[in-house]
Amino acid sequence: MSTINEAQPITAIPKLQQREYVKGTSNLSRSLARLRHHRMAIIGAALLVFVFLFTVIGSFIIPEPVSRYNDPARALLDPSLEHPFGTDVIGRDLLARVIYGGQISLFIGITAVIVQMLVGTIIGVAAGYLGGWIDAVLMRLTEAMLSIPSLFLSLIALRIFSDPTEFPDFQFMGRAYSATMIVIIFVIGLTSWMRVARIVRSVVLSVKEQEYVTAAHAIGAGSLRTVLVHIVPNCFAPMIVSATLGVAAAILLEAYLGFLGLGVRAPTPTWGNIMGQANSYLNEWYFWFFPALFIMLTTLGINFLGDGLRDAFDPKSLR
Amino acid sequence: MTQYIIRRVLQSIPLLIILSFVLFAFTNALGDPLAIFAESRNRPTQAEREMLIRRLGLDRPLTEQYLVWMIGNDWMLVDVRGDGSVMEPGTREGVLRGDLGLSFVTRQPAWTRIEERLPATLTLMIPSYLITLVLAVAIGVYSSLRPYSLLDNTITGLSFFFFSMPIFFIALMTIYLFAVQFPQWGLPGLPIGGTGDGSLGDLILHMLMPVFCLVAIQLAGYVRFIRSSMLDVLNQDYIRTANAKGLSGRTVVQRHAFKNAALPLVTLVGLDLPFLLAGAVVTERIFAWPGMGRLFIESFERADVTVMMAILMLLCVMVVVFQLLTDIVYTWFDPRIRY
Repeated sequence: MSTINEAQPITAIPKLQQREYVKGTSNLSRSLARLRHHRMAIIGAALLVFVFLFTVIGSFIIPEPVSRYNDPARALLDPSLEHPFGTDVIGRDLLARVIYGGQISLFIGITAVIVQMLVGTIIGVAAGYLGGWIDAVLMRLTEAMLSIPSLFLSLIALRIFSDPTEFPDFQFMGRAYSATMIVIIFVIGLTSWMRVARIVRSVVLSVKEQEYVTAAHAIGAGSLRTVLVHIVPNCFAPMIVSATLGVAAAILLEAYLGFLGLGVRAPTPTWGNIMGQANSYLNEWYFWFFPALFIMLTTLGINFLGDGLRDAFDPKSLR
Repeated sequence: MTQYIIRRVLQSIPLLIILSFVLFAFTNALGDPLAIFAESRNRPTQAEREMLIRRLGLDRPLTEQYLVWMIGNDWMLVDVRGDGSVMEPGTREGVLRGDLGLSFVTRQPAWTRIEERLPATLTLMIPSYLITLVLAVAIGVYSSLRPYSLLDNTITGLSFFFFSMPIFFIALMTIYLFAVQFPQWGLPGLPIGGTGDGSLGDLILHMLMPVFCLVAIQLAGYVRFIRSSMLDVLNQDYIRTANAKGLSGRTVVQRHAFKNAALPLVTLVGLDLPFLLAGAVVTERIFAWPGMGRLFIESFERADVTVMMAILMLLCVMVVVFQLLTDIVYTWFDPRIRY
């Protein structure tokens, strides 16, 4: 590279360099460029956009009361033009329920991951940065939580914190929601932060010995500032990957809890609790097929995208 | 090595104690385990109920209940009537002496409840795990040798597809196809629900669908794991050396590549094996399989603390044991590692 430049007229050098620098000096823009060329990531993103638009546009076309209107006279109808996804066991339109349930499922998935990221980052940073006995205690806690299946853990936590007398249903923008929805967000978030904490801790351990952290301390930056400005940003790449995949895991966990009949309660529909009601209506395939299909499309899209993100952020995958 | 094992065992003791206390507190907060008697035909009177509560120690503070659960109460007297008139010696020996307590619901020892269900879970989980491993190694190694070929891309796509599928989706579709539609088409359908009439052939017929579902769900993760660790190894210098000195492709793959690529697999298997004991909650529910997952859900729904604690602690101990075993096996597979 340098030999070629030397051979060329001096005036040409700044131009050449400038163009190269504009095109992708930052790690982020290089990662995004790699992501755009990742075929599976694009397919995954497209799937997610489809599911998202389905729940958003659908809610403009079909008003919310349709998902609650029940008429036993039309229970368990096969899919038809009037009810494209059929009707459920008490005669509610399943298309409307899948749309409004999907909004809740996606909301739970995303907010649960925000909780999980916050808790995981705080614990990971505390363990890695402070070290010593705090590290030992926090890492034992992480191991302990990892040694129990997350479904068992969340079942127990859910039962304890979802007493309907203490947490009544609430209204928001004209729709009634079950408080179990909020409870389940925290239950999923607080039972799945362990991997994030481990990732963050390992990054913090390697970064805190770097010269620029010492330099930050030397010019008088406090611990909090050093951590927030100089250390935590190093964890962003693995955190984005793990957050993306975490949304899929959270949606699946919500679906499993709902399927077991222990998830979000009525009146709030979710993909999971529609599955829970459909559980014993095996012959009415449309009852369970559509919610399950949308769960699958979402997790498939997220997993594709997450894999693409992992490749894009991993400097080793440059080849 | 011995020193390392002793240190690890000692380290795990406080972990297990803290974990058991937290779990004990949580499971005890689940609800009233005596609520089950309210439904029964000979419902106990208020006095009987209070006596029962005192016998079970449910009126004591949580820390005392925990201590009784740990070390038993056969060395102390229980004030059955609450006024000091009748003092009975306690009957429990405590977990440390191998007494997991009696189930609140059936009054059988918790361990008996587990013993009833464990064989069913293992007949389901072990074959499906073995099939998963064998298939995953075969498919993963095969596709790593032809990276980014049409076949590899197909396998990758399919593994993502199954990996993303909620198990109830694949299970319900399998049941719908083989148990509902097949008989309607005049084909022999597969039986669903339970473990069959006790004969081996019937058991296998009942196992076909759940095992298929479990394999389909688990396989993808392992295939991707083996493929990526094989690709890592295949890029190493010693593989080039082995190829360069004229070894056959088979020898290179089997003796040089796979042996090294299998090391991370050992860790993964070691971490996963204890969870086989937990069974598959959702799968067991769908196929009405009388396993550990169902036992946990049943005890959970009735707030049967002793059985839940027994299951959870069994899992925790197994996780600790298997992590230790993995470390030991690792030194045996990889002589470079010393503790």
